[in-house]
Amino acid sequence: MSVPKNTGGKGLDLLRNLPRISLANLRPNPGAKKAEKRRGRGAHGGSRSGRGHKGQRQRGNRPRLGFEGGQTPFYLVIPKYGYNEGHSRKPQYQPLSLNRLQYLIDLGRIDPTQPIDLTQLVNGRGVTVQPLKRDYGVQLVEEGADTFCAKVNIEVQMASECAIAAIEKNGGIITTGFYDPRSLSLLCKPVPFFMRGQPIPKRMLPGEDLVPYYTDSKNRGYLSDPAKIQQARLELARKYGYVLPDVTKDELFHMLTTRKDPRQIFFGLAPGWVVNMAEKKILKPTDEKLLSYYSS
Amino acid sequence: HLLFCVDRLTITYCRSSGPGGQNVNKVNTKAEVRFHIQTADWIPEDVRQKIISQHTNRINRSGELIVTSEVSRYQMRNLSDCLQKIRDMIAAASVKHKQPSQEDVALRRYRIDKMNRERLQQKKMHTAVKRSRRVEFD
Repeated sequence: MSVPKNTGGKGLDLLRNLPRISLANLRPNPGAKKAEKRRGRGAHGGSRSGRGHKGQRQRGNRPRLGFEGGQTPFYLVIPKYGYNEGHSRKPQYQPLSLNRLQYLIDLGRIDPTQPIDLTQLVNGRGVTVQPLKRDYGVQLVEEGADTFCAKVNIEVQMASECAIAAIEKNGGIITTGFYDPRSLSLLCKPVPFFMRGQPIPKRMLPGEDLVPYYTDSKNRGYLSDPAKIQQARLELARKYGYVLPDVTKDELFHMLTTRKDPRQIFFGLAPGWVVNMAEKKILKPTDEKLLSYYSS
Repeated sequence: HLLFCVDRLTITYCRSSGPGGQNVNKVNTKAEVRFHIQTADWIPEDVRQKIISQHTNRINRSGELIVTSEVSRYQMRNLSDCLQKIRDMIAAASVKHKQPSQEDVALRRYRIDKMNRERLQQKKMHTAVKRSRRVEFD
């Protein structure tokens, strides 16, 4: 170290040279304080204060939300039925068509030479996912399967058979992975999470209902057997009548075969690590108990 | 399950029929698969002949079997439907019925003869009844 560290140097110099701080010297930053809107101060003495003329409106006695003046309101007219039960708790998957994916790749918003993840899709503003509104991720839809011609390594949460066929026909690789709501919000907005200074949590495994989906090789689930996936690829190629391109002979083979660990959320970062954005450093745990917990 | 090579088939796409506005007018979604049935050595000879006899209406003058599909909005899905149709045709033509054994043939003969004997016996009984009701001048 050639220059001795002067901690708080600038601040101390200021304290020494400038006059004493008092209420007369202090002022908020411009734009920090916005003057509040005060009712009843307008021309002609404010008169109605933005409340209209007489009646329930002016007197503050309007009925509750949804009331239709005595007519049976919409939310009571529609009968309850079993197929709607728990509709607000059902998992939702934002659709992503192959048309849109091709459009994003063509415009350069998504890089096909890197593995495509939900983070890449959100960064390229391809999809908008709302983890707080029971969104569990993105589903790949076959709209645009005929004109799709990009070789990608893509990871989504659900995919239809025709979409899987379209991607594999062009020499790409598709996987379906599960993200629990917390992991999903981390995936969509990684930077605010890193600013918090918390260790990266491990991704939870799917619940009872979704385990059969993610262990099935037909859906290219991330928990299924790799040998069965290869077999499923061949069968799909036979069904849809195309020749399955050999991925091993590809120049981008290493990139195409990168897959995430079932407990990993971000590429290149393992659970348990703390990311320091300000100093651009990564801190890894050394305690045995922590290591055994995060690698379980 | 028969593994057929897609190289041997000629695949073309053209526009589908039906309603659909600009999309159906411009987009090539109807899939058509053709192959020369006589030279298709990936199908066994007897199955080939069976197919020719069963689907003469699908074979054109130059001897090509034509299968079309415009079921869905996607080329890929229509193509897979065509291939499935071809597989079904081959499967239907490969069905081999069991030849009846010697004992089955004999049993069938015995049963048919017995039926005929019964029938004739019933007829004779009926004529006897009808004759007994007749009044004859003798």
